[in-house]
Amino acid sequence: MDFSEAAERISRKFSKDGQPADPKKIEGKLRRLVQEFGVQPSEAERSVTNELAKEYNLPSAGSGTGGRSGGGTEEKTIARAAPGEWVTFEGKVVALSAPASPAIAQGGIIADESGAIRFVVWAKANAPAMTEGSWYRIESAVVDEYKGVANLKIHSGTTIKEISEDRALIPTPVPIKDLHPGIGGVRAKVIQEWDASHERMLQSGLLGDESGTIKFVMWKEPGKEKLAIGSVYNIFYAQVDEFNGRLSLNLNTATIMQEDADIPVSGGESAVRGSIVHIAPGSGIIKRCPVEGCNRALSRQNYCPVHEIQPNFVYDLRIKGWLDDGEKTHNILLQRDVVESLTGISLDAAKEIAENNPLGMDEVFLRMRDAVLGRYVICHGREFDNRILVNKCERVKFESSEHAALLNRAGGAS
Amino acid sequence: MSANPRDTGRKEGAFEREPARRVFAGELRECRYQFKDGEDEKSPTFVLLPTGERSNRIFLVGTLTEKQRQGEQNIFYRGRVVDPTGTFFIMAGSYQPEAMQQLAKVEAPAFVAVIGKPNLYQKPDGSVLVSVRVESITVVDKDTRDLWVLDAAERTLDRVDASKAGTAPDVIKAKEQYPTIDPAVFRKMAYDALAQIKI
Repeated sequence: MDFSEAAERISRKFSKDGQPADPKKIEGKLRRLVQEFGVQPSEAERSVTNELAKEYNLPSAGSGTGGRSGGGTEEKTIARAAPGEWVTFEGKVVALSAPASPAIAQGGIIADESGAIRFVVWAKANAPAMTEGSWYRIESAVVDEYKGVANLKIHSGTTIKEISEDRALIPTPVPIKDLHPGIGGVRAKVIQEWDASHERMLQSGLLGDESGTIKFVMWKEPGKEKLAIGSVYNIFYAQVDEFNGRLSLNLNTATIMQEDADIPVSGGESAVRGSIVHIAPGSGIIKRCPVEGCNRALSRQNYCPVHEIQPNFVYDLRIKGWLDDGEKTHNILLQRDVVESLTGISLDAAKEIAENNPLGMDEVFLRMRDAVLGRYVICHGREFDNRILVNKCERVKFESSEHAALLNRAGGAS
Repeated sequence: MSANPRDTGRKEGAFEREPARRVFAGELRECRYQFKDGEDEKSPTFVLLPTGERSNRIFLVGTLTEKQRQGEQNIFYRGRVVDPTGTFFIMAGSYQPEAMQQLAKVEAPAFVAVIGKPNLYQKPDGSVLVSVRVESITVVDKDTRDLWVLDAAERTLDRVDASKAGTAPDVIKAKEQYPTIDPAVFRKMAYDALAQIKI
């Protein structure tokens, strides 16, 4: 955290209200909170701001009580609104979502030319209901932070005025790799569609553009339609969420326009050459849940975590393991066809072994392990979530040219 | 290698498996320095290679020339795996039941691929033995052995070159720990190993 910058920011805010605030002192307080007590920088900034506000008898940020009329809030654009600030701006409500709690009257996304932000209208605010697609002037709202993302709070001190003119608002998409938590827009192609992992889920999958790929999800809601695989979409005002350091796009708030075009998509495809150093349990022949859209791997007793006992399971082959190039170890997942060609054991042959050999499915695991462990292979596939989903795996062949080159290298400098 | 992969922006807590280094028996035999990375009981243990790289795990392919079952209560297997530069001493005990069963099954002589963890032992006479605790061992063909010799030679040459540059912390540590070893000897060793493969 840049303490002096944050301290300046806080100090400016108070001196604007005619209250002297020494940045040095503020910086000291911030440092103490962050360095001694391990407080998150954003939380430290917030608590120092609130502490000073109390001292000067000003309404504190995010408390939602007692608004200040005019004066204190600066007219600004959404992109420049930082957590802890009071803002006044004009924007368009581009999405409304169902309130998550009775304390909330309305929630959604509001945008201007510079960007977009999630907003919440407290029920206590007694604010007029806003409609999607209309422009409003919002005075004295508070920006705070929720789950690391800036969020606009409309409280009882906020004034909302509808603006009758409809201004053009053309958002610009950003490359997928430049997305950050909050609200974002992309122009991307649907490159994968995954089985829904939840009954409320309408669709999930992978979007890609030239810069990278990102997971997307859409929840069931009236009026929502699935995206078509292979199609290109302009997607605006989607929620960019972060989980375990990975981003995903929630499209429920988004404005989605299909485009009749094709765009190049980053391969994301990598090829790793190395040796298979571990075959994990759960490799070999497995049983999958036959319920449509489930496909989970069953336990030995044919138990599916969701659909319980499934005696009419479906057999499948897979190998989970580690591929090691001597510098880095890659988690690999091989699907059925790749397993068949690498091990030379077909699904039918594996079934035959599983059902007739005294060791059953274990025997398939052991034969596959002995066939691939310690071997040099090249795995091609998409790296996702720290794991390579392998779509092709071939054995490395001995090349005498490589041998000769190494002999030269070793002999050359001796 | 100076850049530790864990320093390159990984999220805390994300598990990263230690890579299996490729090292010839002739180099592993010279190891005398073993250390822990961190204070934790579970922190990984590394053997420092004379060419200046830490190694928690190694991958080797060679010929299993001999194996022995030992112990009464605690059964374990010992074996010798030969590469073009020397001999690896491998062992698998009842704490690694899968590896022990794999090793028990192999009939010497055979080409084997071994993934395991190097350890230093002090023998009663004071000399140090480097042995490899097997995680897994499988029988492979000669092609795999030849590929490994190329792989190990290439990695050895990479390390010798990096050691010459001499800036990585582990390289500096290796120079302190092995003052009498000139990493250049391993270039010669790699050459001799490569020369043993028939063209």
